[in-house]
Amino acid sequence: MRMRSKLRGAGLNAIEVEGLRRVYKATIGVIRRKVKEVEAVDDISFSVVGGELFGLLGPNGAGKTTTVKMLTTLLLPTAGTARVLGYDVVETPGPVRSRIGFIFGGERGLYWRLSGNDNLRYFASLYHVDPDVAHQRIPYLMDMVGLQARGNEKVEGYSRGMKQRLHIARTLLHDPEVLFLDEPTIGLDPVGARELRQVVRNLQSESKTILLTTHYMFEADSLCDRIAVINHGRIVAMDTPSGLKKNVSDLSVIEIEVFGIPDEVVETLRQSPAVHSVSVENRDQRQALLVHSPLGSEAVPELLASLDGTRVGKVTVREPTLEDAYVRLVAETG
Amino acid sequence: MGATVDEPRSSEGRSTPWLANLRVVATTCEMALKHAATDSFIIFAVFVQPLIIALLGLYMLRERGGDYAIFVVVGSGLTGLWSSLLFVSGGALNQERWSGTLESLVGMPTSLEVVVFGKNLAYVTQSLGSMVLAYALASLLFGTPLHVAQPLLFLASIILTTVSFVCLGLLLAPMFVANPDIRNFVNALEYPMYILAGFLFPIALLPGWTTPLSYVLAPYWAAEALHAASTGTAALNNMALDWGMLLVLGAAYVLIGRWLFRVFLRKARQDATLDFF
Repeated sequence: MRMRSKLRGAGLNAIEVEGLRRVYKATIGVIRRKVKEVEAVDDISFSVVGGELFGLLGPNGAGKTTTVKMLTTLLLPTAGTARVLGYDVVETPGPVRSRIGFIFGGERGLYWRLSGNDNLRYFASLYHVDPDVAHQRIPYLMDMVGLQARGNEKVEGYSRGMKQRLHIARTLLHDPEVLFLDEPTIGLDPVGARELRQVVRNLQSESKTILLTTHYMFEADSLCDRIAVINHGRIVAMDTPSGLKKNVSDLSVIEIEVFGIPDEVVETLRQSPAVHSVSVENRDQRQALLVHSPLGSEAVPELLASLDGTRVGKVTVREPTLEDAYVRLVAETG
Repeated sequence: MGATVDEPRSSEGRSTPWLANLRVVATTCEMALKHAATDSFIIFAVFVQPLIIALLGLYMLRERGGDYAIFVVVGSGLTGLWSSLLFVSGGALNQERWSGTLESLVGMPTSLEVVVFGKNLAYVTQSLGSMVLAYALASLLFGTPLHVAQPLLFLASIILTTVSFVCLGLLLAPMFVANPDIRNFVNALEYPMYILAGFLFPIALLPGWTTPLSYVLAPYWAAEALHAASTGTAALNNMALDWGMLLVLGAAYVLIGRWLFRVFLRKARQDATLDFF
């Protein structure tokens, strides 16, 4: 606790990443084997202040998980340096491991044939937690994640949400100073995801340093102090959620409900000077046409005129969200 | 969700490394046995397979009488120990990889070899049960009076055998860390060990060039010690040599194993194979 407060109070960095790169090699062919190199993380640099909740946002394959795996000492970087609480993740993995906790999204990573309590007891011993402390801490954590009543049941009988929550309890056993949460709410139902976000908020209020990766914009918006948007292995923007939204503050989002819009109509809209960008989202029998325009509601008549012949439903004009900022950043960086 | 009691902190309760590692071995052992109790393959490898070998062996050799029965029973128990070590201990790391827990293990402050040591201890100890079972069943079915001629020497040999087998497992496991496909190669090691270590017949029946290979295998010295103590042919100086070799080879396996773990774990972190299956 003292260490964390000191870090936060002094504005010291808990995580420092500089010029980090990771290249994966894959072999192709049987007889004439060729080695193909894939740049998963390409020269990224950032730092996270003690007590900060820092988000890494990006599409699938952008390099988020690879970054987290390098910071948690599970993967060696190809180049660059990374330090957690001042310890180099390559040169001194030991001190890093005893001070961090990590979760990789999904149900894996637990012993399904053991009970929830046995899982925690085992992981507590692996984290070198004194048995007396573990004896008190396990029921506390099981209660915190709402699993105390099911603690003696085998994990194979848990729902996905329960397994995710058990992961959270596991990662807090040794009271780590820094937490890496890689898509912790993936696949959870809305109630389960909301409960888990509350757990993350509680951890944040305890001044833990948290690096969170997520696909869910509202989650990043509501939880993170700062966000780095990563695409094709590179950080394309890094700011507070409101700072990122400012990138699109010159644009309004006009959402038009349409039924069976032809591609050529979308293309025509794209050429319009009143339009900055257009995307179409399929929603059951209908589509949502999302138009970013600097003209706001003034652009609506022109847009509707362009949609002549297409069945149109509800039209709404709103301020851009973090998701709009994200979509724009990702689209602009290819 | 949300606890109302004061949060017990664990930072004050961290133990000294030695004590902590001993606790890890004990907890790993306990959890591995709990886990194994629900796995039908492990039950087959540890209990059913050595029984089949013991029954077939005793049936074939029932006319010869004398020490052959006890020789076969001890040999079949050793096959159980070896199969368990090879498939269960080695395969356990692949199972960890498959269930996504290998990354968790590597990313924790405990060294992976300590965890593997605990697992090996669990599976080898469990296999000792198969040896006892093979004894009891063979006695019942064939009416063969099986008795251990030198029980104290036999007990000491059993303890050293267990330790040396657990250490031998530390040589096998690192290969599974680096490459999940190694199991295909490891499968081929099962029967050569039965033969080279003299589990079921003396190595004097093998060509002379194989003898040095047998000498660097702890299971050979274990088989020597256990066969001699059970049949009452143990001379004290020979027994001392067997035990000494078990200890020396066990220590060598630990040292080489630790080095292999370091090399192969680094390779796995380099090649990103910890979560690859």
